[in-house]
Amino acid sequence: MSEISLSKESDCWRGNFTAMASPCEVLMEIDDEDLANRVMETVVDEARRIEAKFSRYLDDNIVSRINLAKGRPVAVDDETARLIDFADQLYQMSDGLFDITSGVLRRVWRFDGSDRVPNQDEIRKVLDLVGWHKVNWQNNRIKLDQGMEIDLGGLGKEYAVDCCVTLVRELTDQSVLINFGGDLATSCERRGGNCWSVGRLVTGSDQSVALFQLYTGAIATSGDANRYLLKNGVRYSHVLNPKTGWSVPDAPHTISVAASTCTEAGMFSTLAMLQGHQAREFLSLQGLKHWVD
Amino acid sequence: MQLKNIKKKMSLATCVLLQAASPSVQAEEAEWDVDTAILFYSESDGRVNAVEPAIYAGRELDDDSRIDLRLIVDVLTGASPNGAHAAPVAQTFTTPSGKSSYTAKAGETPLDDTFLDTRVAFGADWQVGLDRLSRITWGGNISKEYDYLSLGASATYARDFNDRNTTLTTAFAFNNDIIDPEGGIPSIFQPMRTAGSGINREGADDDKSITDFMVGVTQVISRETIMQLNLSFGQTDGYQNDPFKIVTIIDPATGLPATASGSSFFDTATTGNLPYVYESRPDTRDRTVLFFKTVHHLDEDVINFSYRYYDDDWGIKSNTFDLRYRYELGGSYLQPHLRLYTQEAADFYTHNLALGIDVDPTSGAVSQDYASNDYRLAKSETVTVGLKYGVPLANNSEFSIRGEVITQTVDDGSVPEGEEAPDLDAFILQFNYSLIW
Repeated sequence: MSEISLSKESDCWRGNFTAMASPCEVLMEIDDEDLANRVMETVVDEARRIEAKFSRYLDDNIVSRINLAKGRPVAVDDETARLIDFADQLYQMSDGLFDITSGVLRRVWRFDGSDRVPNQDEIRKVLDLVGWHKVNWQNNRIKLDQGMEIDLGGLGKEYAVDCCVTLVRELTDQSVLINFGGDLATSCERRGGNCWSVGRLVTGSDQSVALFQLYTGAIATSGDANRYLLKNGVRYSHVLNPKTGWSVPDAPHTISVAASTCTEAGMFSTLAMLQGHQAREFLSLQGLKHWVD
Repeated sequence: MQLKNIKKKMSLATCVLLQAASPSVQAEEAEWDVDTAILFYSESDGRVNAVEPAIYAGRELDDDSRIDLRLIVDVLTGASPNGAHAAPVAQTFTTPSGKSSYTAKAGETPLDDTFLDTRVAFGADWQVGLDRLSRITWGGNISKEYDYLSLGASATYARDFNDRNTTLTTAFAFNNDIIDPEGGIPSIFQPMRTAGSGINREGADDDKSITDFMVGVTQVISRETIMQLNLSFGQTDGYQNDPFKIVTIIDPATGLPATASGSSFFDTATTGNLPYVYESRPDTRDRTVLFFKTVHHLDEDVINFSYRYYDDDWGIKSNTFDLRYRYELGGSYLQPHLRLYTQEAADFYTHNLALGIDVDPTSGAVSQDYASNDYRLAKSETVTVGLKYGVPLANNSEFSIRGEVITQTVDDGSVPEGEEAPDLDAFILQFNYSLIW
């Protein structure tokens, strides 16, 4: 388990740890060190709880039980059911573009910066295992065809941020900013009308080159500079269309969206990515503040 | 995927996932949902005008209980048909107090313009969760106007089944109404008397009790569609006449309101009896109501349809079709409304009573048990067309405006030309402001 650090800044406490393969940061406008410690413990515990429960990289959790059930139905707890229900609604809202069964496409798409673009035959084979409509989901029981998999990683980080915010609000009414690898949310407004300034990672740079000024609500960012393939001058982004199995053409490099919750912001940035060159238009239509690069 | 606005759906789905009341609202403080409205109602031809301010407020008390309160004030002015039909001659009537008189010109529907009242109604519902799947709602209401007092109580039990996709509801309601009209309770089928010569009355006040029992089922059909079916049985016992409504006694020889030439009893000059008797209705009324409603969500818009069938042992059967379509205009919305209502007449609805046939010319005795010429008991058809526009404002509040035109056609059978019950046109304008407080 990686290290947790807590340090005093000029106007807040800063906590750092690693979870969900991301650097996580907690900024607390709190004077009392004991309270800052309790907030930090709560956030770390909740992040680790959610990671342990839903990570597809661990073999003894609900996601692996579902994926290894070999065609048998698996009963799930209320929290998992809410996440699956949510994914189901996203599938409907996005006309099938957001699909938690699409993870198996990564068996043929490996975004390592190389030129190994899969051919249509390879894609067709795995595409048979993709499609939320093929999944039997009712009465808190889920049944996948053999070989199919679900992956809640597409919403886990944002969900974890919102869960942490809810827990933090029970501890304090002072402002806390939770930032899990660029997906962030505040518990409430800061004192004196101040805002939280957060660095924004932009593609092609290891540096935070821009600053978000966040008063309230949440911001989530999709995109990854180093996950693409390049062949014959064509850049294949890591954003895959679950209906065709192909990389979405002209997907932006980075999209950030502001909304009232991190989950909502994250889902809109993900859905916008899937729109390719129409990402900006899609986000403008929702009436949400956004940054597309 | 076609580009479309899914902001509302996403916010709702996220809310459910995070189990928060509202994304922008802090969870710890329960708040009042407040709905305020003012409604203006106006009937054509100077009949009834009403102004109705109302306020509704509800809040969660804790995780499984909530309270809803409502206060409504009605101020009515104008004139209402007194039950006598239009005649080719001028007609003179006595006001309910018995002290003065008013006259309807030849060919004019007689309207009693002393009609003016203010009603104040207050109601409260308290819902309590019994366990995870069932709840009970206790309700109480009181309504008071100048000559009327209504007190009621109700209990509603609801239970969810089938992963909360099905809800069974059963309800019981009881009301007791006391009427204390100006001039007292008129004696049925006794003549209206000339001003100053006393009122034929059987007491100062009277009452009725209303009992209703309902069973219903609400079913979630799909993510887009929900349906509801209710069946209810009700009984009203007690005084159900309209104390201000009369029926014309005609002389079948002339077709005109009876006079001395046809009847010693209705010789107004010597007896003080006008050729109109107070109406009579049965003192029990049993009814059955079937109600169906469905709400269907399209991508953004919402269709709301309901049908109601009503049947009672007075012979009134009615059908109500109601359709609303909510067009989303990216935040604000426009909602057209169409309502069709048809009704069969009550068995005892009558245009008039005929001297020598229904009424004894000497004693004034009426041979039948019940008669009323209240146009509300006639065969009729009502079409309502309306439009509502709602716009969200800051801080989860909303403003809306609604206008409706109501056209009622009364069919009182084959009656002489010029004597028909008048049709009714009315207009509704409502302003509504709702907020979270």
